[in-house]
Amino acid sequence: MRKKIMYSFPDEVLEHVFSFIQSDKDRNAVSVVCKSWCEIERWCRRKVFIGNCYAVSPRMVIKRFPEVRSIELKGKPHFADFNLVPDGWGGYVLPWIVEMAGAYPWLEEIRLKRMVVTDESLELIAKSFKNFKVLVLFSCEGFSTDGLAAIAAGCKNLRELDLRESEVDDLSGHWLRHFPETCTSLLSLNISCLGSDEVSVSALERLVGRCPNLKSLRLNRGVTVDKIANILHRAPQLVDFGTGSYSAELRPDVLLNLAGAFSCCKELKSLSGFWDVVPAYLPALYSVCSRLTSLNLSYATIQNPEIIKLVSNCPNLQRLLVLDYIEDSGLEALASSCKDLQELRVFPSDPFGAEPHVSLTEQGLVAVSLGCPKLQSVLYFCRRMTNAALVTIAQNSPNFTRFRLCIIEPKTADYLTLEPLDVGFGAIVEHCKDLRRLSLSGLLTDRVFEYIGTYAKKLEMLSVAFAGDSDLGLHHVLSGCESLRKLEIRDCPFGDKALLANAAKLETMRSLWMSSCTVSFGACKLIGLKMPRLNVEVIDETEPPDSRPESCPVEKLYIYRSVSGPRFDMPPFVWTMDEERKVMH
Amino acid sequence: MELHLGLSLPTNPFLPIGYELKQCPFDAHVNDGAGGCSSSVGGGGKKRTCFDDETRVVPKTLPLLLWNNDQPNEEDDPNDLHDNFSSSSSSILKDDGEGLVGWPPVKAWRKKLRRNVHSGRPNNNRMVAATTAAKCGSTYVKVKMEGNAIARKIDISVHRSFESLTATLMRMFDICDEHLQKSFKIAYQDREGDWLLAEDVPWRTFIRCLKCIKLIRSGC
Repeated sequence: MRKKIMYSFPDEVLEHVFSFIQSDKDRNAVSVVCKSWCEIERWCRRKVFIGNCYAVSPRMVIKRFPEVRSIELKGKPHFADFNLVPDGWGGYVLPWIVEMAGAYPWLEEIRLKRMVVTDESLELIAKSFKNFKVLVLFSCEGFSTDGLAAIAAGCKNLRELDLRESEVDDLSGHWLRHFPETCTSLLSLNISCLGSDEVSVSALERLVGRCPNLKSLRLNRGVTVDKIANILHRAPQLVDFGTGSYSAELRPDVLLNLAGAFSCCKELKSLSGFWDVVPAYLPALYSVCSRLTSLNLSYATIQNPEIIKLVSNCPNLQRLLVLDYIEDSGLEALASSCKDLQELRVFPSDPFGAEPHVSLTEQGLVAVSLGCPKLQSVLYFCRRMTNAALVTIAQNSPNFTRFRLCIIEPKTADYLTLEPLDVGFGAIVEHCKDLRRLSLSGLLTDRVFEYIGTYAKKLEMLSVAFAGDSDLGLHHVLSGCESLRKLEIRDCPFGDKALLANAAKLETMRSLWMSSCTVSFGACKLIGLKMPRLNVEVIDETEPPDSRPESCPVEKLYIYRSVSGPRFDMPPFVWTMDEERKVMH
Repeated sequence: MELHLGLSLPTNPFLPIGYELKQCPFDAHVNDGAGGCSSSVGGGGKKRTCFDDETRVVPKTLPLLLWNNDQPNEEDDPNDLHDNFSSSSSSILKDDGEGLVGWPPVKAWRKKLRRNVHSGRPNNNRMVAATTAAKCGSTYVKVKMEGNAIARKIDISVHRSFESLTATLMRMFDICDEHLQKSFKIAYQDREGDWLLAEDVPWRTFIRCLKCIKLIRSGC
C-alpha cells in the first residue's frame, strides 16, 4: 500500500489562511515563498500601498493584483510641504483613476497623499466605483468643491470623506447639499481645510443628524462656536471632533449650551480645530477633558495659564499638538499631569520672528522626557538647544520612534558650550534603538552622520538641513543606515563622491531628495545612465542644466527607484535620462 | 524575515580604482525558495512588488566611484571645511525678502491659518506681513486659471500695469482669441485671505497686498 501524503493544501484553504494576513510586509513575504503561493496571494490581495506613485505604473499593479479593493498612493516628495517642489512637478492621480475605473469596478477605498487631484478625477471616482466607501485626500490639491459635490452625490455608500490639509478651491458651500437624503452611512467627515465661508451649516446639521454612525467630524473655520452645540446634539456618539472657529462674542447662554452639548458626548476622546480661540469658551470643554486621549491645539492662540489649565485636566492624554505658547512651564505641567503621553508636537507661533517671544527652550522637552515614560514621538520647534539636554532626553526616552527637532535658526550651536550638536544627536541615535524617523537641525559636522551611520540601524527616514562638512557625512548615512528608505537633504555641502560611491544603496530606498547641495549635473547623468532602475530627476526652474558646464551643481535633485521607467508627465523644468539612456532632456 | 536580492552594497573598499560598473543579469530567484517569484530590491522597505511575467534582470551593481577612506577630501578647498557659515548654494534660494524658502519647515497650511495670530502685536504684524510676501518666493506669485488644475508662477515685479499683466497671463494660458480674452477677469487673494477683483483697485494697492492670482471667467 502506498501512502499518499498531501504536501499542499487546496487553493481555497490557502486563500482562507492568507485572508488573516493583513500587513503589506507579511503579504509580500507570503508571495515569495513559491510560485503557487504567489499566484494565490495575488488574487486575494485586497489592499495595496504605493509609497511613490511613479515607482510603478497603474497597469503593472492591476496586472499583478486584479482584485484590489483599497489603494493608497503617495505623490510628491515630503519637501513639497515646504514649497521646495515647484508647482507642476507631478503627482497626478487621474491616470490611476482612469486605469482603475476599468479594472477595479469594486474598488472601495482610495487614500492619496501629496497628489494632484482634479475635479475630473473626483467625478470619475463617483461614476466608476459603485461600492465606493472611503476617500482620504491628505495634503492634496487641484480640485474644487464641484468635485466634492460629485463625490457626495455619486457615492451612495460613502463612509469616509477626509480632506485633511488639502488645498481646495472653494467655489460654493452648497456642495454639502449634494449628499442625498438617503445618505446615512457616513462614519467620518473631515472638512477642516475648507475656506472660511463656504460651508452650508444647515446642510451640515441635517447630514450629521441622519448619520447615526458618525464617529469623526472635523469642521472648518467657517463654522462658528455658536453653531457647535446644535451639531454636537445631533451627534453625541462622536469619538473625534474638530471645532471650527472657536470664537464669538462671549454670551453666557452660548457658553452654557456648548458646555451642555460637550457633556453629552460621552465617547469623545479626541479634539482639534480651535481657530481664533476666545479663552472664555474653553471651560465648555472641561467635562470632556478627563476622557481625552488626543488634543490638537496647534491652531489655538491661547496662552498660559489657559493652556496649563486645560492640559492639567487631561490625565489620559496620549497625543498633544500645541503652539509654543505652552512654554517650558506648560510643558512641565504636562509632564506632571499626563503620564500616558506618547506623542508631542510643539509648533512655532512666530516662525519668522528674529527674537523669541515665548519662553520655550530645551528645558521644556527635557521635562516632558523625564515625566512621560511612554513618550515615543516628538516634533519640537525651539530656538536653542544643548548637547547636555539632548543626552538627558535620549537617556530618559529610549523608546523614541520618531524624533524631529527644529532649531529655528540654521546652524545654531549648543548655546552653552558653543559646540556643534553632534554629541547630542549621537546620544539620541545611540539610546533610541527603535528610532525610525529623525530630523536634524542646529550646528552639525560630519561627526553626527558618523553616529547616525553607526547606531541608527532601524532608521527609515532622515531629514537634514544646513549640516555637515563634506561628502563623508553623506557617505556615513548611505553606507551605515541599513533600513533607510527616505532621505531628504537641503543646503548641505554633499556632492558627487558619496552619491556615486553608494549608488547601489539608492535602489534599496524609496527616494532621495537633495536641494542646494553640490551634486554636479555630470554625476546626475552618470547615475541616470548606469542605474536604469532609478529615475534621476534634475529640477531647475531657471535654465536647462546642460546650458552650464557638467561640473556645475544642480539646484534640486530627486532620485527614486522605479520599475516603470521614466515618467511621461514631466514639466519643462524637470530633466531626466531619455529612453535611449543617452542624454538628459 | 527580510529577503535581500541581488543588489549587494559595496563593502569592500579595496577594489582597484577605475572598476567599471558591470551589469550581470542573473536568475532572479529567491535564494532559499523553490524558484518562485522574487522580490525586487531588498532593504527595509515594505513596498516590494513582484512581477511574474516581467523579465527579471537584477544586475549586480557596483559603486560608480570607490570610496577612498583616507582623507577623501584632500583635494577640496581647505576653506570649505572651515567655512561653516556660508553656503553659496543656499543663497540661490534666498529671496529678496528675509529668510530662506521652506525654512523653518512649517507647512504652508499652518502659516496661512496663523496669519491672524499676531493681533495686538503691531510690530509682529508688520514683520509677518513683510515676510509673508517674501515667503511666497520673492516677487513670484502663483497664478491659477479657473478650470485648470495646474498652477503657474509669474514674476510680478516685471509688470507696471494691469495691461502688461493681462497680456502675459493670456499668453501664459494660451488664450489667443480676443473675444475669449475679454471673458476673463483677474481676481486676486490678498494677504488677509480675501478674494478681490483686480480691476477694482489701483495697481499700487494691488501689488502691495497681492498674494496670488486667479483668472476667472466672468459670468453672463
